[in-house]
Amino acid sequence: MIRFKHVSKIYPPNVVGVEGVSLHIRPGEFVSIVGKSGTGKSTLAKLLFAEERPTRGTIEIGGWDITNIHDRDIPLLRRQIGVVFQDFKLLPMKTVYENVAFALQVAGERPKRIREVVPAVLKIVNLEPMTDRYPRQLSGGEAQRVAIGRALVHSPKVLVADEPTGNLDTINTREIVDLLKKINEFGTTVALVTHDREVVNALKKRVITLEDGKITSDVEEGRYKL
Amino acid sequence: MLVSSYRVTRFAFQNFWRNFWLSVITISMLVLTLMTVNILLLLSAVTQQAIGLVEDRIEVSVYFHDSVEQETVDGAVAYLRSLSQVRDVETISAQEAYDQFVARHEGDEQIMASLVELGENPFGPTLVVKAEQAEDFAIILDALENPQFRDAIRDKDFSDYEQIVERIRSTTDRIRAFGIALSAIFLLIAILIVFNTVRMGIFIHREEIGIMRLVGASNGFIKAPFYLEMVLMSLIALSVTLIVLFPILSMLEPQFRVYFATESAGLLAFFTRNGFLIFGLEFLGLVLVCLFSTTLAMRKFLKV
Repeated sequence: MIRFKHVSKIYPPNVVGVEGVSLHIRPGEFVSIVGKSGTGKSTLAKLLFAEERPTRGTIEIGGWDITNIHDRDIPLLRRQIGVVFQDFKLLPMKTVYENVAFALQVAGERPKRIREVVPAVLKIVNLEPMTDRYPRQLSGGEAQRVAIGRALVHSPKVLVADEPTGNLDTINTREIVDLLKKINEFGTTVALVTHDREVVNALKKRVITLEDGKITSDVEEGRYKL
Repeated sequence: MLVSSYRVTRFAFQNFWRNFWLSVITISMLVLTLMTVNILLLLSAVTQQAIGLVEDRIEVSVYFHDSVEQETVDGAVAYLRSLSQVRDVETISAQEAYDQFVARHEGDEQIMASLVELGENPFGPTLVVKAEQAEDFAIILDALENPQFRDAIRDKDFSDYEQIVERIRSTTDRIRAFGIALSAIFLLIAILIVFNTVRMGIFIHREEIGIMRLVGASNGFIKAPFYLEMVLMSLIALSVTLIVLFPILSMLEPQFRVYFATESAGLLAFFTRNGFLIFGLEFLGLVLVCLFSTTLAMRKFLKV
């Protein structure tokens, strides 16, 4: 599904994001990418959805070599990869429904399909009663669920979650992790970037550990070791 | 496609309303630019009208000796009429010239006494030659040097209207040059303002643009509202210009009518007759300038 071969990302003048990273994530896998701050976790995530281009090495997603992906192809890639961030990135002037629908609108989907897909997604993320609320009226966990819902509307093959629980309390964190597990059970590959020890240990899934931009361990059913 | 067009249009209108005052400033600058261009056109129309009127009044009077044969006069008329620079040739016979002279100086006893003392008609036939344009007179005067009738001509009277026309032209050329310079300055300011408007638009919508990119909006979809917004502003600017320009023309028309002593100064007619072409080209030009500026701003500030 996702294959990194000797991938390095060097920021000018000479700052290492990641260096010599090789990994393979299989379809339907749930992988936690862990490490301290500044070890290249987010760079790895950005390389996945082509926010950054590798300096060296190759990246393949579903057989598609995105190493030197053309600008015009990036939107196509991003419709196949859902992305969730720590700060939710919701539009404050739009309701829950509108925020989720927005992803379909800008991709040119027809209103009829939007009316079908959005309620279904809101049901998955358990936000049906809150469709008319604005982001400021939501808790952190609810806002993150909206963001996950928005990431799911294109039925992506991969969901990249970059520190999705970073701003959440324990209860909300558990809710979000449960939701990610549920999405993974539906067959979506999930890459969770986190430094939350408890989350990683509770998941009992594959753990890739980064240190100074390099993979130092890659363990099936791993634990947070740093 | 239709759905996307609708959404792009909606985003463009949102951009417009969210930066309302910035939009107003941009439109004002576009209007100023258009007004300057139209004032230049107006000046051109007025100049043409003035030159036309002056040219219409200028003529060369060719006086023949009183002993000249009618055949020579007819030959000169035929020759002059064959020239493309000649618009009209009027023949005044010796008797008509005498009658006109008498009529003109009826009250001047001294002149009338001199005429009686001469005892005969001192006037020869006269030709009044009108040219197509002021600069044609040099050619007509040269043509009258033809040996066939050069010696039969006593005198040629040519008021130097060419100088008057030249003066009108040089004055209007200077004004036009100033107007063009002013238009260029306004155009440059308009480009900068449009550039800044787009930059502000990108800044205000940076969050939305970021999310659009994140969820897979195409580059065209992200950029299109900015382009459309500028087309919309160009359209509004042109409409405002028309609303301001036509009352001004209506006010100026009677003033120029009196000045030129004609039935119509032709200003309104000029803009009405060529309206589609003039305003169509102005709109097209404005849109191209705005799109150019928008492209520059997006290249610099919009990462898609």
